[in-house]
Amino acid sequence: MDAEAAESAYLSREQIVRILSEVPAGFIKPTDPPAPSLHPFKKLGVLVDIDDVVGDQDEAVRIRDNRDKEQSYSCAECRKMLPTAHLLDLHITEQHDCYFAASVERGDKPMFSCFLEECTIKFHTPRQRKDHCIITHKLPANYRFDQGKNRGKQKHQPKSKHNSMEVDEVPVESRNLPYVKAFSFGHQTHRTFYSRKDQRSGETLDDVEAMKEAINDILD
Amino acid sequence: MESATTTAEGTLLRNKIRGYARDQRVECRMKAKDSLRIGLGQVKQEVAALEMGIKDVTGMASRIKRRKHATSEDLCRLSLGFLQGNDNINAFAAIPGAIQVLVKELTGPHIQRQTDAVECLCNLSLGEAHVSEKIVTLAGSYMVTYLDGKAERLKRSCLWTLANILATCDKAGKILLQMQLVPKLWRLYSDASGCQEDAAICLSLVATHCLQHVSDEDRSYIAQNLPEKIPEQPARDYFMYIVHQLEIVNQEHKLGAQQAEYLVRFFEATLAPPADRLSLIYGVRVMANLVALGDPSLMGALADPQNLVKTLNQLFALQNPDLSLDLMRLLKNYLQLNAADSNLVLDSLQIYA
Repeated sequence: MDAEAAESAYLSREQIVRILSEVPAGFIKPTDPPAPSLHPFKKLGVLVDIDDVVGDQDEAVRIRDNRDKEQSYSCAECRKMLPTAHLLDLHITEQHDCYFAASVERGDKPMFSCFLEECTIKFHTPRQRKDHCIITHKLPANYRFDQGKNRGKQKHQPKSKHNSMEVDEVPVESRNLPYVKAFSFGHQTHRTFYSRKDQRSGETLDDVEAMKEAINDILD
Repeated sequence: MESATTTAEGTLLRNKIRGYARDQRVECRMKAKDSLRIGLGQVKQEVAALEMGIKDVTGMASRIKRRKHATSEDLCRLSLGFLQGNDNINAFAAIPGAIQVLVKELTGPHIQRQTDAVECLCNLSLGEAHVSEKIVTLAGSYMVTYLDGKAERLKRSCLWTLANILATCDKAGKILLQMQLVPKLWRLYSDASGCQEDAAICLSLVATHCLQHVSDEDRSYIAQNLPEKIPEQPARDYFMYIVHQLEIVNQEHKLGAQQAEYLVRFFEATLAPPADRLSLIYGVRVMANLVALGDPSLMGALADPQNLVKTLNQLFALQNPDLSLDLMRLLKNYLQLNAADSNLVLDSLQIYA
C-alpha cells in the first residue's frame, strides 16, 4: 500500500516527457535565471595593533631581517633580493649569464621574457619588453622590478655629467704629470701668461676672472 | 680552575639556547598572529580613543610626502585613519603623491614594511571607485606580483585588498585582469598555501563583477589546470560557481578527457553529505553543459545510465525548485545524445510531483 502511494507521488513517464518538451536544451549561460548568488561579499579592512609597531625595535629589526632573507628570493651572486622566483630567474639570466648575453648580442631570436610569468611572449630588447608590459599588462612605466642594465647605470651616474659640455677625455696619466717650468730662449717669461696659473685656468671662477683681466691688459 | 671554565662555558651555552628559544617564540607568534578584519566605520565603535580626523590624515600625508618615506607607525596610524570613514580616505586620495609614498614602502626591501603598506592600502580600498582605480594604477602590479611570493601574510593582505577593489570598481577590475590576475588566483586557489579561501573569494568576485573582461587565455588556463584543485581542500564550495560563471565548459574551449573526468568526479564529491546547496546547483549546471558538449566520452561515470539515474533521483529527492529545472535540462541534454535507451532512463526516474 505504502509503495503504491509512493509510486503515485512520482511523476509518470508522460508527465516527464511533457515537462522535458517545455525545457530548453543546450548550454546554461551564467546569465540564465534563476541564478542564486553566493554569500554576499562585504568589504573589510584590517585592524592593525599599534602596540606591535611601537614595540621592542631592536628585537623587531633582527627578526625582520631574518624574515626578509627567508621570505625573499636572493641572488647568490650579487645578493639582490627579489619577491618572486620568476623575477629572480630573469635577474640571474639577464645579469649574470654570459650565454644569454652572447645570445642577445647575436640577436637571432628574442631572449627577454615578460615580467609576468604567465605571459610567454619574448622580446629582442628590454625596451620592447617594457613597452609590451606597459601597453598590454598595464604595468607602470617605472616598474621597480625592471632590471634592465641601463636602468641601474642611469641611476648612479653623477648629476654633473648630464649638464656638462661634451669634451675630449684627458688621459688620467697626463693629469698626474708634475709641473715642469716652461723653457725660455732669451725672453722674459712675464710677456706670456703665467703658465702655472694657465694650467689651472677655467677650473674656478677666480681663474676665469684673472684671465679676463690679463686679456684686457694686453688689449689695452 | 677547570671547573670555573666549565661553569662559564655552561652559562654561555645556556644563555645562547635561551636566546634562540626566545627568538623562535617571537617568530612563531608573529607568524601565527592573525589580522582582525573590520568594516568601514566600525573602528569608531571599537576604539574611540584612536579617532583621527581629516586634518590628522592630511597632516600625516604631508609628513610622509615631505620625508618621501613612511615608518611602520605612520602606516599603522594611516590604516586606522582610513578605517574611521570615507572622508579620511577621500582626503588622502586627493593629495597628489601621497599614495606613491605607500607604493614606495610596498616595493621596499623589508617584508614587514611591505605588509604594513599593503594593509594600509587594504583600508584605503574601502573607499569609492575612484580610489580603487588610483590604487590599481599605482600599486596593482606589485600586489599581483607578490601573489607569487613566499610571504604568506603579505599574500593574504594583497588578496584582501584585491577583493575590495574587485567588488568596487569595474575599470580597476579590468586593469587587474590585464595583469594576469586570473591565472595567479587559480594557482593560489589550487595550492595548499593557506590562501585558498581568499583566492576563491577573489575569483568569485571576478566571475560576478568582471565577467566581460575575462580573456580566452584566462579561461583556457583554468580549463587546463582544473585537476589541480583537490575536492578535499578548503573553499571547495566556490569551485562549481567559478567554473560555471566563467563558462569554462562551452564549445569554444576544448576540454580534454582528463579535465572532464575530473569535473564529474568533483561533482560526485559534492553530492556526499553534507552537500552545499550552491555547490549542487552550480554543479548540476556544469554537468548539464558538459553533456551539452555532445561527446559521451567526456561524461565519465555519468555516461553509465544507471549511475546517471541514481544521481538524478538523489537530486530530485531534494525537491529544490531551482535545482529541478536544471536537472531537467541535464536530462534533456543526455537524452538528445542517444547514448542510452531513453525509455529505460525515463522509467527508472523518481521525480516527485
